[in-house]
Amino acid sequence: MIPFEMVEATSLKEALSMLDPQEPAIRPVAGGTALMLMMKAGVFQPTRLICLHRIEPEYARITLGASGELRIGAMASLREVEKDANVAARLPVLHRAMRTLSNVRVRNVARVGGALAHGDPHMDLPPILAALGARISVAGPKGERQLPLEQLYTGYYETVLDRNELITSVLVPPLNGRKAAYMKVTSRTADDWPSLGVAVSFALADGAIRDPIVVVSAATEKVTRMSGVEKVLQSTAPEDAALRRAGDAAADEVQTLSDAHGSAPYKRELLRVYLRRAVRQALNESVH
Amino acid sequence: MTAISFTLNGRPVSTDIEPHRNLVELLQRFDLFGSRESCGQGLCGCCTVLVDDKAVSGCLYFAVWVDGKRVATVEHLDADGRLSPVQQAFIDTGAFQCGFCTPGFILMAHQLLKEHPNPSDDDIRHYLSGNLCRCGAYPEIIEAVKLAAKATSKAAA
Ligand SMILES: Cc1cc2nc3c(=O)[nH]c(=O)nc-3n(C[C@H](O)[C@H](O)[C@H](O)COP(=O)(O)OP(=O)(O)OC[C@H]3O[C@@H](n4cnc5c(N)ncnc54)[C@H](O)[C@@H]3O)c2cc1C
Ligand code: FES
Ligand code: FES
Repeated sequence: MIPFEMVEATSLKEALSMLDPQEPAIRPVAGGTALMLMMKAGVFQPTRLICLHRIEPEYARITLGASGELRIGAMASLREVEKDANVAARLPVLHRAMRTLSNVRVRNVARVGGALAHGDPHMDLPPILAALGARISVAGPKGERQLPLEQLYTGYYETVLDRNELITSVLVPPLNGRKAAYMKVTSRTADDWPSLGVAVSFALADGAIRDPIVVVSAATEKVTRMSGVEKVLQSTAPEDAALRRAGDAAADEVQTLSDAHGSAPYKRELLRVYLRRAVRQALNESVH
Repeated sequence: MTAISFTLNGRPVSTDIEPHRNLVELLQRFDLFGSRESCGQGLCGCCTVLVDDKAVSGCLYFAVWVDGKRVATVEHLDADGRLSPVQQAFIDTGAFQCGFCTPGFILMAHQLLKEHPNPSDDDIRHYLSGNLCRCGAYPEIIEAVKLAAKATSKAAA
């Protein structure tokens, strides 16, 4: 890696003031696991990194609100999310996915904010949290704004965040009886980067699916909500023929991309099959 | 250059380090070679180091970040002249050939046994999934962890 400067912010406000809206070579760093990989590969060469480790500890907390909403601070480590009792009890879909998200050492160091802001479409948290209807809170020079997580991504490694904005937390609403599942499809080891990620959540009323949210990742350029599939699933009983139709609709709806984890046509077939499996898994899940 | 002070294997130390150095490079300056960079991408665990009792990949951890922290490497395990139960179990079961991956596996096994004193095969496979052994000593490594778990619980009883 080539030399650069590392400065430590002692508050969120200070961190924001150290960022520069015009300067891509100045970046915030959380766990550094994604940034270091890019720096080692020579695709990112910072002049200065703004370290967020010493900003106020509240930004690392995971707290349960009165309405059952879970607030996960952007500086919480992935390992803290994995071990959090409220996450385990209320969002088993998230808890389970943490186990195959990379390995213990990376989870000890990587933070939720880094996992969301990086914008690599292969990452596991964005599709799951988007399917759960999560919002993120973003702080900038003009104050704080909230947006649905599904609106964060604009392209491959691209987000709507300005260079002088920071994610402060992610807010996950309670499931309230909704079913949810995430299928991580890997072509090598179980904890590898996925070839395809599919996350679903839906309510079930009188045996029919209501208000489904379906999100695809890894196979596509960015984390993408599939509204066409959602229409196919809406108000249908989750029987084989209906799920087959939904899988076909999914394969038609998005453009899959080839990479080291699979060719575009292969990923399209995976999507066709795993969409059905995701809905079935959600149905079998005992949720609180 | 950034001045940093930290505890290294129980001893307070200070040095100057450039921000673009990683933790493996820092340890080499202290003649500690148990943590070694292999994949350089967080995948293999050969560079495992404990920072404030948590396992990290030294190859993906900025050296300046250990300022004020406690750092432990595989070299601290036999500081009192005796091998740890995990080290002894790796020898007793022959859980290595070339030994390149062994320090990482041993440190991760210590962390694993702290969290799961009586681990199942699944616990072991899951916890150590981020460590690679090119010699393929995996079956013996799993045996070693189980043997160490037994030895540790006996010693505690
Ligand atoms: C071996 C290995 C395997 C992996 N496998 C997986 C996997 O299976 N699934 C998966 O999902 N991920 C995987 N990852 C990726 C891992 O999840 C990311 O590297 C990690 O989440 C990034 O978090 P970080 O805190 O280290 O981010 P950093 O490297 O610190 O930052 C990443 C990006 O986010 C920005 N950033 C950080 N915090 C904020 C904030 N609060 N607001 C705005 N921008 C911010 C940084 O400027 C940078 O652009 C793997 C990584 C490794 C090394
Ligand atoms: S060298 Fe660090 S994990 Fe492989
Ligand atoms: S013993 Fe040779 S790599 Fe594991």
